[in-house]
Amino acid sequence: MNIAWKEIKKSKAKFIILGSIIFLVSFLTFIISGLANGLSQDNAALIKDLPDGQFYMNDDANETYNLSKIDESTQDKVLNDQKDAAAFSIQMGFVNDAEDKQHSVAFVTSTDSRLFEKVGEGEIVLDRSLEEDGIKVGDTITNNQFSGEFTVKGFVDQKKYSHAPVAYINMENYKEIYGVDEMQLVFVAGQEKGPDIAGLQSFSSKEFFNTIPSYSAEQMSLNMIVWFLVVISGMLFAIFFYMMNVQKIGLYGILKALGVKTSRLFGMMWSQMLFITVIALTLSVALSQGFTMIAPEGMPFSLTLQTTVQLSIIFVIIGFVGATLSGIQIKKVEPLQAIQQGEV
Amino acid sequence: MTIFTIDEVKKTFINGEVKEQVLKGINLSLHQGEITALVGASGSGKSTILTIAAGLQRATDGQVLFNKKNMTDMSQEQIRKIRASEFGFVFQSSHLVPFLTVEEQLMLMLDVSGTKMKKKEQKVEVAKILKLIDMDHRRDAYPASLSGGEKQRVAIARAIIHKPKMLFADEPTASLDSKRSKDVMTLIRELTKTLSITTLMVTHDEEMLSYADHVITMKDGLIL
Repeated sequence: MNIAWKEIKKSKAKFIILGSIIFLVSFLTFIISGLANGLSQDNAALIKDLPDGQFYMNDDANETYNLSKIDESTQDKVLNDQKDAAAFSIQMGFVNDAEDKQHSVAFVTSTDSRLFEKVGEGEIVLDRSLEEDGIKVGDTITNNQFSGEFTVKGFVDQKKYSHAPVAYINMENYKEIYGVDEMQLVFVAGQEKGPDIAGLQSFSSKEFFNTIPSYSAEQMSLNMIVWFLVVISGMLFAIFFYMMNVQKIGLYGILKALGVKTSRLFGMMWSQMLFITVIALTLSVALSQGFTMIAPEGMPFSLTLQTTVQLSIIFVIIGFVGATLSGIQIKKVEPLQAIQQGEV
Repeated sequence: MTIFTIDEVKKTFINGEVKEQVLKGINLSLHQGEITALVGASGSGKSTILTIAAGLQRATDGQVLFNKKNMTDMSQEQIRKIRASEFGFVFQSSHLVPFLTVEEQLMLMLDVSGTKMKKKEQKVEVAKILKLIDMDHRRDAYPASLSGGEKQRVAIARAIIHKPKMLFADEPTASLDSKRSKDVMTLIRELTKTLSITTLMVTHDEEMLSYADHVITMKDGLIL
């Protein structure tokens, strides 16, 4: 006989309340996680979308790409030696549209590479968010440090850097705007551990993210919130299962007196925990995935099904551990003590 | 035929530095199919001897022999198996499982006792015993909707449905009025005689002693 299910059927309100708490806490965690990923995407989509590989900046740049200037001869040697390599630079700046409205952008330029947009002199390719601001293909764009004008050649999806839309420009135009001849970075794709290059310091993708100003601080804070929520949820699960078990201690004692095995009582508790948690998490995953579809346009929100499933597995594990810890009372309960306590 | 023997059983409770000996050497033999009533004042040790006999706590000294097997040497798991399959319990409160119907309470006991019955056979067995205790009309009722007398009748049915060899009853009529107490005792007597179940019962109600085959009086941890 499935006594776990019989109890759920008879005490619906109690289990609905417990399920609601698991649902609300997990939903909150999913949403915060979505915002964290969204902000991360907003901050570094340009870099995140690059394939696995190594980044290089010069040794004395103090791990700050803005200070990096790669010597032309070194750059040429790397680009000749490595098949899938590109040199590129990123600088924050502004552009003015045809109506002279100013837009903050991250100018990106690179050597000829399939990894970056190819743009000719006087052309500009923008992130699609600027299309939503009213800029169209063929529009003329200006920059106060650039003597000429840019013509909008097209738009690319989801290319952001430091929360600003990316603007791909030709290298010659970039050099004019920023008055530099050297590129800041070299990227070599497809290598987990890149070759040692004299005068250059190499960074994995993960290490490079930490060199982006504000990225690591922002992500650390957001990830901390997510993990705090996960830990707090775990404690909440444990407390609620503990309270439920304390309430049922007399019942467990009587069942033990009748000869019910302790393992069967644990099985009862685990199956109830699994039942509530799975239903609550399924609802939570469905709703959070639904939210990704209706989230406001400008909100940086990115929540993949994979992330929610991974977090759900963590919640199930935490729920299981919490329930098991609180279930130690089941092992301890003395049948005689329960009988003497009176009616359950 | 002697089925249960309590031999020089002693029990001492230790509370901090205070030692209290509540059983000072009890000897008792129970015969198959007979009802033995333990009477005595509060603190005489009658409930303690009942719970030791029922395997709910261990004696400090002495032997408890069931079917010639010494329970004092058995592991917790061995005692649990005996409790589940060979013993039945009726407590002062009915202690029914609040989320199970009357029928489910009895089916759970059949399940726990390890009878290899199919669900259909279990239902037939439950129907038989519910008819016997005149509760077949309350088969689908939950404990909360039963009266005190009805609850106790279900508790008795639960204690004997798996046809145990021993029934332990700790003041089974204490929470009932006089008429219901007599009904419950009549039921216990009828069922245990029909099924040849050996019963050890603790009571403080003298009226109930007429239902017992033997009456044993206890005082200060000893049999008088």
